[in-house]
Amino acid sequence: MYRITAKEELDVRDFFMEVEAPHVARAWKPGQFVVLLIHKKGERIPMSIYYADRETGRIGMFIRRHGKTSFDLWDNFDVGDSLYAVAGPLGTPIEVKYYGNVVFVSDAVCGQAENYATLKAMKEAGNYTISIQTFEDRAHSYPEKFLAKPVADEYYLTTEDGSRGIKGHYLDVLKELIEKDKVDIVFGGGKLGSLKKLAELTREYGIPTIVTVRQIMVDGTGMCGSCRILYDGEIKFACRDGPMFDAHKVDWDDVIRRDSRFVREQEIAKKHYLESRGVV
Amino acid sequence: MAKPKLIKERVPTPERPVEERVKSFVEVNLGYDFASALKEAERCIQCPPEYAPCIKGCPVHINIPGFLKALRENADNPDEAVKNALRVIWNDNTLPAVTGRVCPQEDQCEAPCVMGKVGDPINIGKLERFVADYARERGIDQELLKEFIAETDGKGRVAVVGAGPAGLTCALELAKMGYKVTIFEALHEAGGVLMYGIPEFRLPKDILKTELEKLEKLGVEVKTNYIVGKTVTVEELLQEYDAVFIGTGAGTPKLLNIPGILLDRIYSANEFLTRVNLMKAYLFPEYDTPIAVGKKVIVIGAGNTAMDAARSALRLGAEVTIAYRRGREDMTARVEEIGHAEEEGVKFEFFLTPVEFIGDENGKVKAVKFEKMRPLEERDRRGKRKIVGTGEYVTIEADTVIIAIGLEPNKILVEASGFKANPDGTLIVDENLMTSIPGVFAGGDAIRGEATVILAMGDGKKAAKAIDEYIKDKKANA
Repeated sequence: MYRITAKEELDVRDFFMEVEAPHVARAWKPGQFVVLLIHKKGERIPMSIYYADRETGRIGMFIRRHGKTSFDLWDNFDVGDSLYAVAGPLGTPIEVKYYGNVVFVSDAVCGQAENYATLKAMKEAGNYTISIQTFEDRAHSYPEKFLAKPVADEYYLTTEDGSRGIKGHYLDVLKELIEKDKVDIVFGGGKLGSLKKLAELTREYGIPTIVTVRQIMVDGTGMCGSCRILYDGEIKFACRDGPMFDAHKVDWDDVIRRDSRFVREQEIAKKHYLESRGVV
Repeated sequence: MAKPKLIKERVPTPERPVEERVKSFVEVNLGYDFASALKEAERCIQCPPEYAPCIKGCPVHINIPGFLKALRENADNPDEAVKNALRVIWNDNTLPAVTGRVCPQEDQCEAPCVMGKVGDPINIGKLERFVADYARERGIDQELLKEFIAETDGKGRVAVVGAGPAGLTCALELAKMGYKVTIFEALHEAGGVLMYGIPEFRLPKDILKTELEKLEKLGVEVKTNYIVGKTVTVEELLQEYDAVFIGTGAGTPKLLNIPGILLDRIYSANEFLTRVNLMKAYLFPEYDTPIAVGKKVIVIGAGNTAMDAARSALRLGAEVTIAYRRGREDMTARVEEIGHAEEEGVKFEFFLTPVEFIGDENGKVKAVKFEKMRPLEERDRRGKRKIVGTGEYVTIEADTVIIAIGLEPNKILVEASGFKANPDGTLIVDENLMTSIPGVFAGGDAIRGEATVILAMGDGKKAAKAIDEYIKDKKANA
């Protein structure tokens, strides 16, 4: 069992959770993820890592209240409670080395976690780090202490409606940066639709771009093939061969479509859960 | 003295009626009771163990005449009879409730049975299962277990990677010898393919879990959620343990490299069965993992996995067709499983090779296009007739497709650890099952590609002996 050591609201939808998982914390490298199973009847859900602390054996995660499992986790699990399973680290680490000017862009929960984790490692490797974090609006943006600001040499926060930080999307800020000629590589995470646009933008400028490809997984070790994607004309598994891939080689339309495979079932599960809580 | 009369016919085992079983995941075969088991055991002509063909046919060499004799010797005391029989079985195989259910006995112990020459071979599989089940139901196994608990003082420590049939057997055999064993398992439960791959109606999970409880009782530690190669490396394990056994199986599904493979509701058998068996998607939304299955399912393949997937889909309320590129006689599934699938209403189509998955406007599969195949007289190296395309095509409607054409080893570990491996990813081992890394042994599908539960168990047992020798040598020379 894996004890919860911290839990905090990030915004009206996302929350932060820290869990004791020394086996993961000791081995985790940027780009890797974990699989959680909150209780015995739960599903296996992949989760990005915000930090992994070898000393304390704890891992931090950002989680969105989106489906049944994340609602259940927020509602029924508090500090001191335990999760049934935390497996990992999984996936292939990204190559942390000197690239020059490294930008990380993100506009949704998993990307925000990795924005911090990846840039921290990149900064330690001597890169000049630039972080751009996009939130929908003020109500959907994170408290200062959870932003990637401390690990970035240059930092931009944007909201789509301009209610906090710069008005606009990371794509707008990134375009300006690129035109100022200071971007050697872009890393990204978040909404798949934005990542597709990101790939189109950086391809135009010939800038290498590595992004997290979110796909539905079951085991997370390459055993089931649920997370298969079309990559450079070949089938790759997001869990084993990724989850970070060269954005220019990903077939984004396919990835976006496959991501919605279980929408109907997700809604059934959420409704069933909310009814059982007397919410609906 | 009058020569005992040979009874040619098997004592049958009852099965749950078709109309009842297609609605649930409860076990199909109901097994023997003591009286009928005894009657079947009495058909055995008791070949001496050194000649008995059944023992030779069994990959873990269970003393079959021995356990049948034990049953017969205490006909008037069933508990004693079963205890003695179980003791004989456990000497060679600690998971008889599993093997009694999932082994292809007709190709192994039962194939060369002398009784098979004059009538039906002895129903060894069902008898093995009976002994295990009866013992478990009466708590006889718990009592017997005490006899197998060994002193672990300073013999050595072994890490086992993977809690499937190969790893479990290796761990249990080593524990019986007195080694301190730790199993590292990537999933949240032990059992491997027995847990995620084989459905409840063939191997009930409660029964499997009782078998797995032996691990703890024999002092084996199981670390779940550990992905060796990621969470911990083989190199690190070698620093802490005297030897390592790799039983990671063949976990990666082969997918068809044809147009439409990424369409929705095209599952690998692994994904489909993992969702259903391990994650209990058939109880969704009580359990959180969903499975989306339509009304018309096509399963591609003809092995046991294809049968398991087909029969599971049927129980989820679909009409199911198995499509196979060869003919009926070449199907690799067990005869019993094919029979059960047919009885339950699974349809079979032969000589069809899929060439394209056709999708609807939402990206969901709606049909499969097949090329019709024709068999030739010429046979391949496995003795199967070769097939050629005819250039004629047929399209069959389907809103769900399950691909069960085989597996290959998962590359996570090979890539992370630098093992010498074959191009298909199987680890290269010597005659003692030792890999290219000294002190690291391997068995089961990790070296075979794709085989059976019992062959994996045979490897686990052989590796346990080799590991014992290896550690003894190492300690003697230290």
